[in-house]
Amino acid sequence: MAKILAVDDSAAMRQMVGATLTAAGHEVQQAADGQEALTIAAARPFDLVITDVNMPVMNGLELVRKLRTLPTYRGVPLLVLTTENSTERKLEGKDAGATGWLVKPFNPDRLLSTIARVLS
Amino acid sequence: MSALPGPRPTVALPPALPGFEQLQRFWEPKSGCWTARLLPGEYYVTRSNEAIMTVLGSCISACVRDPDRGIGGMNHFMLPEESGAGHNAWLDPKAGLATRYGSYAMESLLNQLLRTGASRSRLELKIFGGGKILSSMTVIGQRNIDFMLGYARLEGLKLSAQDVGGTQPRKIVYYPADGKVMVRRLASVSHNLADRERNYMHSLHGQQDGGEVELFE
Repeated sequence: MAKILAVDDSAAMRQMVGATLTAAGHEVQQAADGQEALTIAAARPFDLVITDVNMPVMNGLELVRKLRTLPTYRGVPLLVLTTENSTERKLEGKDAGATGWLVKPFNPDRLLSTIARVLS
Repeated sequence: MSALPGPRPTVALPPALPGFEQLQRFWEPKSGCWTARLLPGEYYVTRSNEAIMTVLGSCISACVRDPDRGIGGMNHFMLPEESGAGHNAWLDPKAGLATRYGSYAMESLLNQLLRTGASRSRLELKIFGGGKILSSMTVIGQRNIDFMLGYARLEGLKLSAQDVGGTQPRKIVYYPADGKVMVRRLASVSHNLADRERNYMHSLHGQQDGGEVELFE
């Protein structure tokens, strides 16, 4: 079981991802944009962060960049879950410090197996 | 830019936003408007004075715009078939495929609107389609309608108009600049429309696997 911060501006996505992770035994906290996520992540440590890219206030790639500057999150897996699948965007994610890139519509089994893999 | 020849356009074809250059647009003399034509699975966003049209059977379209910025778009999709999708699809631990695919179709459109400069809090939504047009596709239209209403509620989108259900196909023409929608009920289901929807429905089976993953290690 891991403590996971799930970040998405879509309430529908937050519900679906949250339900998938909770049912698999993970403890999930949610945020609706990068800024809110950064505040939550700075206040307590998480084992993994999974974030959308296109969000108001602060986007997911900016969140990944900011988290990587915090000592607590230097080695924590940061996954991106987005509708975007262009090579350029993925490279941007990699450069920002993301651990992996998952394309929506998400596959619950694959999401869980990816999480298990990056946490091991 | 793919524009079909038509009778004497009186205005130049507006530039397409990046990523939408390939979508077919034609000159519609009656409305004096360039018009983008959507097929199942496609969406289009514009900030120009042009129209978006499509023909819907059991598929559903969301017309979404930011009235202050004159940015709007439309999609055209249906949910893939799946067994056992209950009313709590949003909270299903396995997050039903249909719900995930529908959210993906909506999010693709919304993301493009926001990237183009629309404000999420101002977005106005109109929904069309979800007809019961073929005996072999009886519940599909209603599932599409139920999904769309649930999604709008969850996401807090303002639903300002809807024309859904029934037994006739619809031709929809949306003008994002002023939000106007022309709906025409079609008398009968053409073979083309029925084939298009059936082919689209079958193509969605291939997407069941979904969720491409790339690890940067």
